[in-house]
Amino acid sequence: VGCDRSKNLVDICGEKHFQAFVCDALSVPIRSGSCDACISIAVIHHFSTAERRLATIRELARLLRPGGTALIYVWAMEQEYKNQKSKYLREKNGSKNKDKEMNTGTAQRPFSDQEPDNSNQDSAWSDQLLKDLKDESCGAKPVADFRLPVHTNRTSFHSQDLLVPWHLKSGAKKKEESVDTVLVPSGSKESQELNPVFHRYYHVFCEGELEAVCRSLDCVKVRKSYYDQGNWCVILEKL
Amino acid sequence: MKLLTHNLLSSHVPGLRPGGGFPLKIELGHPSELPPEPLPDYEANEEFLRRLHHVLLEVEVLEGSLQCPDSGRRFPISRGVPNMLLTEEEA
Repeated sequence: VGCDRSKNLVDICGEKHFQAFVCDALSVPIRSGSCDACISIAVIHHFSTAERRLATIRELARLLRPGGTALIYVWAMEQEYKNQKSKYLREKNGSKNKDKEMNTGTAQRPFSDQEPDNSNQDSAWSDQLLKDLKDESCGAKPVADFRLPVHTNRTSFHSQDLLVPWHLKSGAKKKEESVDTVLVPSGSKESQELNPVFHRYYHVFCEGELEAVCRSLDCVKVRKSYYDQGNWCVILEKL
Repeated sequence: MKLLTHNLLSSHVPGLRPGGGFPLKIELGHPSELPPEPLPDYEANEEFLRRLHHVLLEVEVLEGSLQCPDSGRRFPISRGVPNMLLTEEEA
């Protein structure tokens, strides 16, 4: 059975007759100790504080029965490892997009962001985020100078905390369907409304970081820790 | 949502007694075809087994809700998908 925070994504699972429900990874509505195995693929790197990332792993561990195992994949800061570039870097300006609406939250590299983005929506600093953070910080620590860089897709990461653009392209569904596309000049106002860019928060992990977070929990043991195509991965066992 | 999935789900409303929130009560638009309790000698009861098999393996709840037995909080099921998200206030 699967779960995700996005109702729309889970609805797609339902359409395909998979068993899935909507929930937050910080509070999973499953009894403690009832799973033989859990996987968390490209999820934890979307949580914006170390505390929340740890809480997510703790919640995952709670679901496991003693002896049960978990697999966790998160994006790595190091996209080039042991002199090998990951698929993410290698596919720059590469093959055509097959499914433009595919979410970039996959463990393997997203292939929905082929073109280098040179529109002014990708300015180096995200002013909207800055404004949102200021609005939300009532009572909390001031975040006056906290800015997140916006990443240029298919390049190396220069910061661990960043926003990754995702281009939602209009009218580009399955290639077998004939589509009623409206030809709109790119860069025009219409184009920007039909092809919005979303900025998704990521905290990319450094070597050893995921493992260290897992080791800080008493209830699990790290069985395996490895690198796979631009991801840091661990296999945990519930004690 | 299949019955096997329902078997895994529990209410995660904060402040429940330990072990609380399970099982969630399935609320359908129509009454169930099963009796409230298993009949004695149900293994031999062909009719009962037929209905049980149907509910376990052939039925999916598309529209309905799951009710927490302790708090009464309802979680909606739409298009076969239970939405277990808590509100900002609840979480």
